[in-house]
Amino acid sequence: MSTQNTNNNAQEQLLTRREFVMLLVGAGMSVALANILADPLNPLFQKILGGNIDRERYAAASTDKPRWGMVIDLSKCIGCEYCVYACQATNDVTDAMRWNVHIVDQTPTGDIFHMTRPCLHCNNAPCVSVCPVSATYSREDGLVVMDYDKCIGCRYCEVACPYGARSFNWEARGDEPNPRAPEWGTPEVPRRPRGVVEKCTFCIHRIDAGLAAGLIPGVDPAATPACVNICPVTARYFGDLNNPESEVSRIIASTATFRLREDLGTEPNVYYIPPEGLAI
Amino acid sequence: MISLARRTARQSPLLAIWYLFLFTLVAVGVYSGARVLIEGLRVTNLTDELPWGLWIVIDLSSIALGAGAFTLSAAVYVFGLKHYASIARAAVFVGLLGYTSAMLALFVDIGRPDRFYHPVLYWNPHSVLWEITIAVMFYTTVLVLEFTPIIVESTPLNRYSLARRLGHRLHQVMPVVALIGMGISMVHQSSLGATYGILTARPVWFSPTAPVLFILSAVAAGPALTLLVTMISGELMQKRMVPEDVLQGVARFIGFASLAYLYLKLWSWMSVNYYSHVPGHAASIRILNENTPYDFTFWWGEILMGALAPAIIFLWPRLRRNRYMLMLGALMVVAGLVINRWNVTLSGLVVPLDWSPGVLDVFPINTYEPSLIEWGVAAGIVGYSWLGWTLGVRYLRLYPNAVRVMRRRAVTRPAVAESGEQPATAR
Repeated sequence: MSTQNTNNNAQEQLLTRREFVMLLVGAGMSVALANILADPLNPLFQKILGGNIDRERYAAASTDKPRWGMVIDLSKCIGCEYCVYACQATNDVTDAMRWNVHIVDQTPTGDIFHMTRPCLHCNNAPCVSVCPVSATYSREDGLVVMDYDKCIGCRYCEVACPYGARSFNWEARGDEPNPRAPEWGTPEVPRRPRGVVEKCTFCIHRIDAGLAAGLIPGVDPAATPACVNICPVTARYFGDLNNPESEVSRIIASTATFRLREDLGTEPNVYYIPPEGLAI
Repeated sequence: MISLARRTARQSPLLAIWYLFLFTLVAVGVYSGARVLIEGLRVTNLTDELPWGLWIVIDLSSIALGAGAFTLSAAVYVFGLKHYASIARAAVFVGLLGYTSAMLALFVDIGRPDRFYHPVLYWNPHSVLWEITIAVMFYTTVLVLEFTPIIVESTPLNRYSLARRLGHRLHQVMPVVALIGMGISMVHQSSLGATYGILTARPVWFSPTAPVLFILSAVAAGPALTLLVTMISGELMQKRMVPEDVLQGVARFIGFASLAYLYLKLWSWMSVNYYSHVPGHAASIRILNENTPYDFTFWWGEILMGALAPAIIFLWPRLRRNRYMLMLGALMVVAGLVINRWNVTLSGLVVPLDWSPGVLDVFPINTYEPSLIEWGVAAGIVGYSWLGWTLGVRYLRLYPNAVRVMRRRAVTRPAVAESGEQPATAR
């Protein structure tokens, strides 16, 4: 504005050469960035995400008994709900049945903070122990998953889960498109039938396929939960809690973390970094 | 069928109206049940936050009210109180109706009724609900076994010697069947309480006394329902179904069971509400009292009406000998039990979970009012069990010792009716 006021000659030009070049460069960079963000397999993106991992040391420290876990940094979370939407698209979840939830809470000091919660994949999962047909079970790698073909829909797991991490298919779903696809991803798993309970799987299909392809879950985006990949502020980390070289293990070893309702003895595999002002 | 209906209507218009009422209930239930099976559970008012409601209350209540079967069978076959055999058969029938009602409720309540048999295939011995399912299945089989001789005896099947022999053989092994039944019953009646008692996530529920409270209340309310239907049927059919001393004995037993229930219930209440202050529990009770009539229904419905008043009626001989007081007491125990099962089921679910580490009450209180379809299914189940009882008491030999009596209303001279009752009361 001030340039225009002082320089009357410039009024004839729409853009100066410098502005034109800068616009061109900016547009090019946006396209490149959009390309990287849209394709998690882009090597550049992988490098950004996996930059904190020394693959050789990770491989040396890894065992054949991984335990998958997550770290969520509440001091970083801005409440954008990208994790919620990416999860909905990837796992083909309806809006009413969100596997990831976001709520706004407050610290004792009066500051608001954003709280997000996937399934916590507890080591002592109440949902697993109450299921009358073993439809929900704990895998050796710590994942709490469901066999939708066994579930009878009694909903005892919903009653038992202290974190409200389960959703029941109250009605049948047609073949209408998922409202979050394709903007937030494409469905990678089949829809669940009416009358069964469902829950977050930590994108188990990506983990299993990724491991088979020699990828590292939490490092290689193709083997990492959608909510972790999408987070624009890197508030979510994923990896093998049994491998000291994984990013999650290193964060837990070096930072003060807590788990939700530790008093219940559920031993969740999701760790939280508290927001400022929240004593743990 | 039509001629039978005409004959019933001519003989007793009241009975015809009663049948019509019951058939209407069943029809409403069939319609509502069909709607649920076709459209799914979205026709209910249940949510992910409050996934259990009226049907689970019916399931729990009918199983508890069926407990007269194991209690009175045990009295006869295990503890050798032979003269209670005159009421044990009716108790077994009430039990059978109760357990099948519960199965109907569960069948509609689960999201995938087509997979109802899955607990048999896919075991999870660590789940109380798995254990309950298996036990209920076994126990219903026990009830059917116990009931087969009665069916054989009361129907044209009795003409066939094979059926008669089978019935007789079953009758011979009945002590063993009753013993097994008692074992299974005691385990799963208490496990139903454990369904709630073991859940750490819900402070109102989490309690070591929940399983014991469930079996104690069932042991009181099961025989109470048997007593109630026995007396009502006797009044209406102008029969003395069982000897008076058996009625009095059952009533005394219910009185003591109610006292035991009351004792444990009060201590359970005092230990967490009066003598200690557990934050989660206190907060839950506060939420319940602010949002629901929990306080009122707990003290007036469960404690006073459901346990204390009936205990007084059943243990005070003067009150107990009045047959209307006896019926009233039994009705109060039954109603108190249903209120208790409603309160227990809903109290844990109305209070929201609290998992966020912040200070705000971010989760809303869960409210619940059964939908019309839910009431419809409930009406159908009630209609089924009442119809079953009406037909059973009319056409089966449920009371081997029943004798016809003249009641006051039936004769012009009251003195005769009074004297007709005397011998039994005097014993």
